[in-house]
Amino acid sequence: MSSVIEQIEQQIANLQSKTVYSNTGQILTIADGVAKVTGLSEAMYNEMIEFPGGTIGIALNLEEDEVGVVVLGESTHLKAGDEAKCTGKLLSVPVGKGLLGRVVNPLGQPLDGKGPVESSESYPVEKIAPGIIERRSVDQPLATGIMAIDSMIPIGRGQRELIIGDRGTGKTTIAIDTIINQAKINEVGLASGDDSFRPVYSIYVAVGQKNSNLARTLGVLEESGALKYTIIVSAAASDAAADQYLAPYAGAAMGEWFMANGMDALIVYDDLSKHAAAYRQMSLVLKRPSGREAYPGDVFYLHSRLLERSARVNEDNGNGSLTALPIIETLAGDLSAYIPTNVISITDGQIFLETDLFNQGIRPAVSVGLSVSRVGSAAQIKATKQVAGKIKLELAQFRELAAFAQFGSDLDAKTKAQLDRGARIVELFKQPAFNPLPIEEQVAVLWGIQNEYYDSIDVSRIVAAATSIREFFTTRKESLLTDIRTKAKLDADLEAELKKAYDEWKPSFA
Amino acid sequence: MTTADKKTKAYAKSLMKLCWQDGEFSDERALAVLQSVEKNPPPRYAAFLKAFLALVQRAVADRTAVVEHAGSLSDEALQATGKKLSQRYGRAIEVQSRQNDALIAGVRVRVGCDVYDSSIAASLAELEASLS
Ligand SMILES: Nc1ncnc2c1ncn2[C@@H]1O[C@H](COP(=O)(O)OP(=O)(O)OP(=O)(O)O)[C@@H](O)[C@H]1O
Ligand SMILES: [Mg+2]
Repeated sequence: MSSVIEQIEQQIANLQSKTVYSNTGQILTIADGVAKVTGLSEAMYNEMIEFPGGTIGIALNLEEDEVGVVVLGESTHLKAGDEAKCTGKLLSVPVGKGLLGRVVNPLGQPLDGKGPVESSESYPVEKIAPGIIERRSVDQPLATGIMAIDSMIPIGRGQRELIIGDRGTGKTTIAIDTIINQAKINEVGLASGDDSFRPVYSIYVAVGQKNSNLARTLGVLEESGALKYTIIVSAAASDAAADQYLAPYAGAAMGEWFMANGMDALIVYDDLSKHAAAYRQMSLVLKRPSGREAYPGDVFYLHSRLLERSARVNEDNGNGSLTALPIIETLAGDLSAYIPTNVISITDGQIFLETDLFNQGIRPAVSVGLSVSRVGSAAQIKATKQVAGKIKLELAQFRELAAFAQFGSDLDAKTKAQLDRGARIVELFKQPAFNPLPIEEQVAVLWGIQNEYYDSIDVSRIVAAATSIREFFTTRKESLLTDIRTKAKLDADLEAELKKAYDEWKPSFA
Repeated sequence: MTTADKKTKAYAKSLMKLCWQDGEFSDERALAVLQSVEKNPPPRYAAFLKAFLALVQRAVADRTAVVEHAGSLSDEALQATGKKLSQRYGRAIEVQSRQNDALIAGVRVRVGCDVYDSSIAASLAELEASLS
């Protein structure tokens, strides 16, 4: 007999004798997206549980005679008595470059109607963070394109920098600006043909947001050409609490793939306050004991194990990185509430946005005094250090003096000069939304303030002056900008050229 | 769950321990336990009975193999399955057969919460899931 026939017969035989083993249980009760299931004697913590209709849940409470399973997505079709099945798999999501440009749910399934996601690999949603041995310190910049941040609160690849502030203070905008800036840098870098260029891919995790907000963000990313370098993971306000709970971990898994494959990625969690609230809701339904502000006792671990996964790994492990920008919403600027203090303690610094500044039109509303970056200055390029070294101090002094000056009428000349200068720096740092600036343009503008070119210009015209000088540089001094970018530090030649450029520009702006 | 619920459950569990003989659940013992409880009912008797029932049901399910099959299944095959399963679990397993034509062909065996499925219906469902 032909061996082909034998083989086919063998395969048929295999097919017929194939027995699938599964550990099953029955839904006892189901409410608020949480099913209590009897049986499932072999369920593992965080295992995917399958319900009728292909619905997936995660086993979160393992008790002696029942298992608490949170159902992902729609759960209205499930009822008591339905069968539940252990899958033997921990929850995992598709990863890889095929997800770029896509909007997916926390299971990695497409939400954008652009067809199936192309991916041949998947990563577990929960993963142990890289250990100390595999990590290396943060020393490469991740430019946000926001002048106030890149010059005073610089961020490095692998860092975790918290963006914190009240409602509507521009938190999301800072994160989106940063994503857009990575796309712009990627375009320039990839076009330059420089082999050592390392693009940054972004993951934007939207938790508990209104769909209209996400649609706006999506529109901005698409319009700016940043979407093709970005993965959006969304669990909207209208989705189940379990989906909102899961979304950040799913995004982290997608980010880890880039890091594990020697690439750089940026992940934004917008926001972790809503994430904590979703976890609290889930925990209440699971009847876990609750503590401060009704959060379950392990809420600290919820965010620490998430943010620990951001890192820069060493050469032996591929030299990749995952930078995290978690966002937290405060109430009336209160940093001492439970969730803010927790997250502040596990990040490498914070960008604090103030409602007062925002309302005064100082946008981005970065509070210089309360914002820090604990590791980023090692990653700041030399040129920025050269021109911005003293600015943070000057600005902080200005804020103090300005408060004091409200009471005093006659100020000495030195104080007045400091106030004048501070007011100009504040103006200079104003930057419209979705308009990140390349680092070389930032350096060119800041060089002007360092060398007192703006001191004679009226405060009300500083914004116009900054726009004018940038236009002057981008249209007439392109090669100088390129030199600043590639050298990344200012030598005597560049300084002389900058001086020449400013002297040429100054009379034209009058 | 209230503390009263917990107490009732714990009581049912402690009585359940008396129902085992040589590592196997014994109907006679369970009946004896039930009779003595009837004479001397604990507080929240109805709740107790419910909790006890759930435990007994689980114990019975754990020693019973429900063999679902499409078409007919010979008695020898059924007894052979019971023997195999008893070996596998290290305890006596009774078999019950149940015809279920929805399986199309093949069998599906359930012991407690373990399910062994070699039916065509299951293979088809798996195939369908892998395609969507
Ligand atoms: N630098 C800026 N210049 C001008 N407008 C800005 C700037 N940053 C933010 N805005 C505007 O402020 C509004 C709120 O911004 P954004 O949505 O980023 O804030 P948020 O803190 O994320 O708000 P929420 O708490 O609702 O999430 C938006 O309309 C946005 O366009
Ligand atoms: Mg926002």
